[in-house]
Amino acid sequence: MTIEAAGIPESKRGRRGRLMVRLESVVVLAVLVALLSVLSPYFLSVSNTLNILLATAVIGVLAFGATFVIAAAGIDLSLGSVLGLSGVVGALSINAWGMPWPVGLLFCLGTGALCGSINGLLVARAGIPAFIVTLGMLGVARGLALVLTNGVPVYGLDDAVVYIGQGRPAGVPFPVFVFLAAAALLHLVLGHTRFGKYALVIGDNEGAARAMGVRVQRHRIALYALSGTMAGLAGLLFMARTNAGDPTGGINYELTAITATILGGTNLFGGRATIAGTLIGALIMGVLQNGLNLLAVSSFYQQMAIGTVLVLAVWLDQANRARGQR
Amino acid sequence: MKPRTRTLALAVVLFGVAPAATTHADDRPVYGVLLKTLSNPFWGAMEQGVRDGAKEAGVQYFMQAVESDQAAEPQLNTCNTMLERKPKAMITAAINSTILLPCLKRANEMGIPVVDLDANLDHEIARKAGVKIAFTIGSDNTAAGKQGADWLAGKLGKDARGAVLVIEGLSGNITGQKRAQGFKEELAGKAPQLKVVASLPGDWDRQKAANITNDIMTRNPDLVAIFCANDTMALGAVESAFAAGKGSKITIIGVDGNVDAVKSIKSGRLAASVAQLPYLVGKQAVAKTKAVLAGKKADEYTYVTTLVLTKQVLADNKDPNLKYLK
Repeated sequence: MTIEAAGIPESKRGRRGRLMVRLESVVVLAVLVALLSVLSPYFLSVSNTLNILLATAVIGVLAFGATFVIAAAGIDLSLGSVLGLSGVVGALSINAWGMPWPVGLLFCLGTGALCGSINGLLVARAGIPAFIVTLGMLGVARGLALVLTNGVPVYGLDDAVVYIGQGRPAGVPFPVFVFLAAAALLHLVLGHTRFGKYALVIGDNEGAARAMGVRVQRHRIALYALSGTMAGLAGLLFMARTNAGDPTGGINYELTAITATILGGTNLFGGRATIAGTLIGALIMGVLQNGLNLLAVSSFYQQMAIGTVLVLAVWLDQANRARGQR
Repeated sequence: MKPRTRTLALAVVLFGVAPAATTHADDRPVYGVLLKTLSNPFWGAMEQGVRDGAKEAGVQYFMQAVESDQAAEPQLNTCNTMLERKPKAMITAAINSTILLPCLKRANEMGIPVVDLDANLDHEIARKAGVKIAFTIGSDNTAAGKQGADWLAGKLGKDARGAVLVIEGLSGNITGQKRAQGFKEELAGKAPQLKVVASLPGDWDRQKAANITNDIMTRNPDLVAIFCANDTMALGAVESAFAAGKGSKITIIGVDGNVDAVKSIKSGRLAASVAQLPYLVGKQAVAKTKAVLAGKKADEYTYVTTLVLTKQVLADNKDPNLKYLK
């Protein structure tokens, strides 16, 4: 059955719905880049562009996970903690439990997937609100990371792992490849597979999804598992980049990831999302942060600037949508 | 028309935010200074020291910090960005001993000497990661703990008996560990009858320290002294002790010598604080960096003096270092 047949109102998909990314995000990003190029002589260079991509990689991967869950009208507040726990488990498995490093990397992803699956099961089967479940996981995963390490970072990983975080094949930081590859793959999954389309339908109208024959609860578990796996991948990158399993790694990252998702045009209440949009959203935050750093703006103003841009971008978006529906 | 006006509004706001920042920017930056955070009086005093030191040395600097002293990965990103401006030296106060190493390695490769401000790096680990630290300057945290124990033994007498509580910093934080360790070792030698009955992490948190104090006062009614790894926690402990009517029986010592602690000491509540002098640390760091750049050899470690603040010391106002309290 197609989405059209499920009776999704045309206005929701509209002209813009066919575009990969909503225009406003691109405009905001372009304005920012133009502005910073003028304001700072250090901004527009290959090495600084790579800095931005590298700095955005972890948050970006996390935001991709958040996009899938939010697309289906869910929320995952445990992303940052699961990131921290995944990195810790990966680092411990290599350093303390004697696993070969590729197994350690799988442990990172597996830890994320496991946490995500538990979130999904509790939301879908036990019927506890996602906000509560993932808030609970936020505490449990962080606590477990601290317990496992006794609060001390596990430092000094295998050279191969460090290469994943710090190596520069062809001059480009390795995490950037992972980041962009994940973006391309997940963009296809969300936009061009049944898995992704069902997620959007669930977010738009759960009843309609049921009527279409989507097994909503099972799908939901899979979405949380995917989100957790992305947190695991982000944890892997974080661990490799910092050459340590840091139990305090990723505190508050879930909020930054959700901000990037919303900046990219995803509807916080589900039904509308693209990974390309989230990529732009994450880059907006990365560019803004980088630019403000280059201009040596105090971190206090930086937080204000990011908050302001978020609200303005969503305001722009809603204005356009209101006009489109008239 | 309307959305275009909004895009314009966004651009205007961005233009408004950015120039507010450019007051710090300069085309000829000399030293890059990376602190942990500015939302703490300790780092505020450090910043003042750097500013005055730069003025005296006739050099320029640009300063960056991140939003909190937990934001490790953002600090690494900021560090990378700072290198785009090609500073002559990087003076960094790393959030933990490992996070900045990839960036500092790059700095070394660019021929930029690296200064460890506030002694957060481990020279051995840094060497293994390929980072050469020009010098470390900071406060000796072990010595600060020892000074606290010396003063306590002097006040209560070397034959004093009773229970002592130690409240450590954030679990795993090296600064808090050194202070607590220094205190415990020295006390065992100077007043062996004073027994440390508990040593618990207060996470630098006032409320948590207050709760720990309550719990231990209940368990050990013979509690005679509390050593806290910073002033914030000491001030929490003081409130609990006075609330329980034991304010005059329990001697409470903090570390840092911050403004609130000074007030509390003057009003006879907090007994003592081992003051560190971040202002002097910042000032001397700039002067020494200039010397290193001019080809002079620097000691690997420089520790700036610490002093014990008590009601008497503050009232006498004779110690020349008191003027560096900020």
